[in-house]
Amino acid sequence: MLDAGRHPNIEILAYSEVESVKGRAGAFTAKVRRKARFINEELCNACGDCMAKCPRKVPDDFDMHLRDRRAVYLYFAQGIPAVATIDKDHCTYFEKGKCRLCERVCQKEAVDFEQKDKILNLSVDAIVVATGLDVFDPTPMTQYGYGRIKNVITGLEYERLINATGPTGGHLYRPSDGTLAKKVAYIQCVGSRDLNYCKHCSSVCCMYAIKDAMLAREHDVEANSHIFHTDFRNVGKWFQEYEQKGKDLYGINYVRGRVGEVQEDKDGNPVVWYEDTQKREVKSLTFDLVVLSVAAMPAKGSEELAKILGIELDDSGFVRVRAGEPADTSRPGIFSCGFCNGPVDIPESVSQASAAAMRVAETILPQVKVASG
Amino acid sequence: MSPEPEKEMKGKRDKPEKGSPVDRAGGESRRQEVDAAPAGEIRIGAFICNCGTNIAGFLDAKDVSDYARMLPNVVFSRENLFSCSEAGVTDIKNAIKEHKLNRVVVAACTPRTHEPLFRAACEEAGLNKFLFEFVNIREHCSWVHKGERDIATQKAKDLVRMGVARATRLEPKEEITTDVKRTALVIGGGISGLTCALSLARRGFMVTLVEREKELGGLLRYVNVLYPSGVSAGTFVASRIKEVKKSSRIEVLTSSTVQNVKGYIGDYVVSVSSKDRKSRDVNCGVIVVATGANQLVPEGHFGYDGKKVVSQLQLEGMLRQGKLKSKRIVMILCAGARIRERVYCSKICCMTSIKNATLIKKTVPGASVHLLYRDLQCYGVANEEAYLGAKAMGVRFVNYSLENPPVVENGRVRVSSPLSGREMSIETDLVVLASPLVPREGAEVVSRMLKVPLDENKFFLEAHVKLRPMDFATDGIYVCGTAHWPASVSESISQALGAASHASIPLTRGYVKVEPIVSELVDEEACRGCGMCAAVCPYGAVEIVETDKGPKARMIEVACKGCGVCAASCYKRAIGISHYTDEQLDAQVRAYLKGDE
Amino acid sequence: MPEVVVIGGGIAGIQASLDLADMGVKVYLVERKPSIGGVMAQLDKTFPTNDCSI
Repeated sequence: MLDAGRHPNIEILAYSEVESVKGRAGAFTAKVRRKARFINEELCNACGDCMAKCPRKVPDDFDMHLRDRRAVYLYFAQGIPAVATIDKDHCTYFEKGKCRLCERVCQKEAVDFEQKDKILNLSVDAIVVATGLDVFDPTPMTQYGYGRIKNVITGLEYERLINATGPTGGHLYRPSDGTLAKKVAYIQCVGSRDLNYCKHCSSVCCMYAIKDAMLAREHDVEANSHIFHTDFRNVGKWFQEYEQKGKDLYGINYVRGRVGEVQEDKDGNPVVWYEDTQKREVKSLTFDLVVLSVAAMPAKGSEELAKILGIELDDSGFVRVRAGEPADTSRPGIFSCGFCNGPVDIPESVSQASAAAMRVAETILPQVKVASG
Repeated sequence: MSPEPEKEMKGKRDKPEKGSPVDRAGGESRRQEVDAAPAGEIRIGAFICNCGTNIAGFLDAKDVSDYARMLPNVVFSRENLFSCSEAGVTDIKNAIKEHKLNRVVVAACTPRTHEPLFRAACEEAGLNKFLFEFVNIREHCSWVHKGERDIATQKAKDLVRMGVARATRLEPKEEITTDVKRTALVIGGGISGLTCALSLARRGFMVTLVEREKELGGLLRYVNVLYPSGVSAGTFVASRIKEVKKSSRIEVLTSSTVQNVKGYIGDYVVSVSSKDRKSRDVNCGVIVVATGANQLVPEGHFGYDGKKVVSQLQLEGMLRQGKLKSKRIVMILCAGARIRERVYCSKICCMTSIKNATLIKKTVPGASVHLLYRDLQCYGVANEEAYLGAKAMGVRFVNYSLENPPVVENGRVRVSSPLSGREMSIETDLVVLASPLVPREGAEVVSRMLKVPLDENKFFLEAHVKLRPMDFATDGIYVCGTAHWPASVSESISQALGAASHASIPLTRGYVKVEPIVSELVDEEACRGCGMCAAVCPYGAVEIVETDKGPKARMIEVACKGCGVCAASCYKRAIGISHYTDEQLDAQVRAYLKGDE
Repeated sequence: MPEVVVIGGGIAGIQASLDLADMGVKVYLVERKPSIGGVMAQLDKTFPTNDCSI
């Protein structure tokens, strides 16, 4: 991330969206809207004085709404570029016409309420799509109680809880009463492999559930985890060893079977009802916290983007690539890589990204002149 | 801390602070004189990172920062919430200018991730980047002393004091640059090697493609059709082979093996011997390993006999040649995989089995296919779809457990399925075993010649399992396809293009830069040319050459990784490591032993 | 200098940008969020090495 921020050949256009693409391979014009941050990127040094004074609280989407940020905010502490952004939709000044506290406290005079969106028309030779993923919202799957039972959270919310820079400073305080969660259940295939929602397998959830359970134990030796899974899909390099380690060294209980329902007892503890497929009986277990390993799906807005780019998507909304050319979209000159092509883990994303780069190079770079022999 | 060790050392060596010539243990050799305290005023800035709460949550970072300011030569110190944030980096750059710093110490996390960042910051502020010292107070301190705030704080101070002592003795260095010959050698002519060679050739580079077999195409030559496309594997690979043969930039050497590798990134000399040609040397700038994998012959698993109980690859052959006669087929998955002797999952066997099961249901009227599995690995979109398709076509999926595996008897397979709770006895006239991909026997030889590692399963071991899956720790050598780990055709192609991308970076530039942290012959006179250093060097970076003064060691700087094995092996102590000189390390140890003054 | 737009500033977009930039291509890395990093930046650790993901 930092390497990209420092590379002289890379210009980061964050807080920006591609609005239209015209032309053809070798001669595209991409219209990019740079949304106004109302902060001068050149002047802001991310000191945080504005955030300290801003009176308006907004749920923080980087932290999965587990805590609030201010209307003027840094997306995350190590973010690149490290500049504040004013969230126009929630800013008191934009709503009521007065406040401008941030402007007053900013010693760098970086706040600029007059800033307008900028439109850039970029002439480029090729385009790479790497729009990634968004996670499935499990609210419609009422049997799991997400949104109704406080101590049922999603995997990505869990990531923020267990993260030292997250809302709890890395402690697994459960949402209902702030006590330390020790007995945690992870429910797999929530929204994945489900004909009603995402019929695809999200590929990464089995491994991330094991990881999450390991982290719980690393933070707290008394942590005790159950993973309720269907097919346990740990196929990558050293993944089977990882699964084994989870069981042997971290004491994770792997339970094969789909969970029927999650209920809540009178103390706010989630109760997981499941079928023990080995013993063929319906059982229940009470936990402090339930983590839903929710499906990962194409990023929001990827359908609109596909229309703008003129590229085909498959039935699940992932970019359709050419057979035998896994980085090529249906439109020449536009390449794609990573999760937007279909569920992949990080190493696979990295190799696909380099593959896309190479296909771009093959297509647009002048051939290197090499004397033979 | 005890002053005793200090006393003991004094006898052998003058204190560097005195600026006297440094004498080596035993005084047997005359060393180059080193000014222990460099000329001019040393002005050190120390930056203590909180790493959010990763560091500051477990030790008193402010106390450490205040302490650092009291240390000799330190003229400035402060804390940062995140030194690695753009704000933190800007802070360092500003301090270098404002306080005329000529050494920078950052106490934060690990140099593995963030050293390049801080070095670049120094450089951008006009300071030679080798005048930067990284102290790890996260992995080495806060994370391992949680709940012991005082001790962790004290240790962080010790570490910072040591870092400051070394920083005082750092010297400016320049990176080492070498030219890159703009040609590549690709080892292995399967789908990965073919794809990689073609890609590099399209960019204009000359490629030599070495294949051990008589024919190009690798494992795909034995496969019937590809999943999920249903395209004929033979046709597919044949079209790539045709392109390779057509390319004027690719030289194909079949029935050939690599015999010897010399050199380093930019300038390798690889001897290739061929059955039908004289062996020859190929001079190239980069090397790509695409040696592929083999299907395990499932001897000893589920009654494998190669006739009634066959492997999935044998079934592919039958399907390809239209020789499948059986109608009642049972496939058993994980034959030789995910067991105690071979823990890993081979990733592709479930899909291969589902592909073949579906094809049989489609093409053989009245055929029955049972697929006995442990966990079905149909990750992603197309694979899960293929699985649902196979189910809809009537392929019967039966779960089994490792503890209670299926038993193959004459004409039937008995299996007990934990998911259905049933004992089944399935009549069959052909049992097909899905066995895993295993590394080629040649992998070990290639690994040894290239001096790149294998993992415990004998697949090639990449530089970083997440972020650098196609690189080796050794620059200039890359890996792709099933040589690295079992992979589908599409995954292999991605990796092959990805490896081509990384290989093409030095090829495009025509030069590489390496860190000046390399071994050096600091005492040429002492060197006897015994060759011990050359023998132990894992990177082939030391050679013995004849000089006027007899045989001497010579370092190939660009191949050296600065590991120091040569220096440790030299009984004459003639070898040192630049940027990690004995003087610098000694000062660090002394600073620790001295304790707080 | 050849120019390319990369849409998406997660791990894939960043890696593609770096490779292209190292090959001498000018890259515009477009990210709709206020800073790059993507989902990986939100994760605590990554499997199977439990490395920090930032």
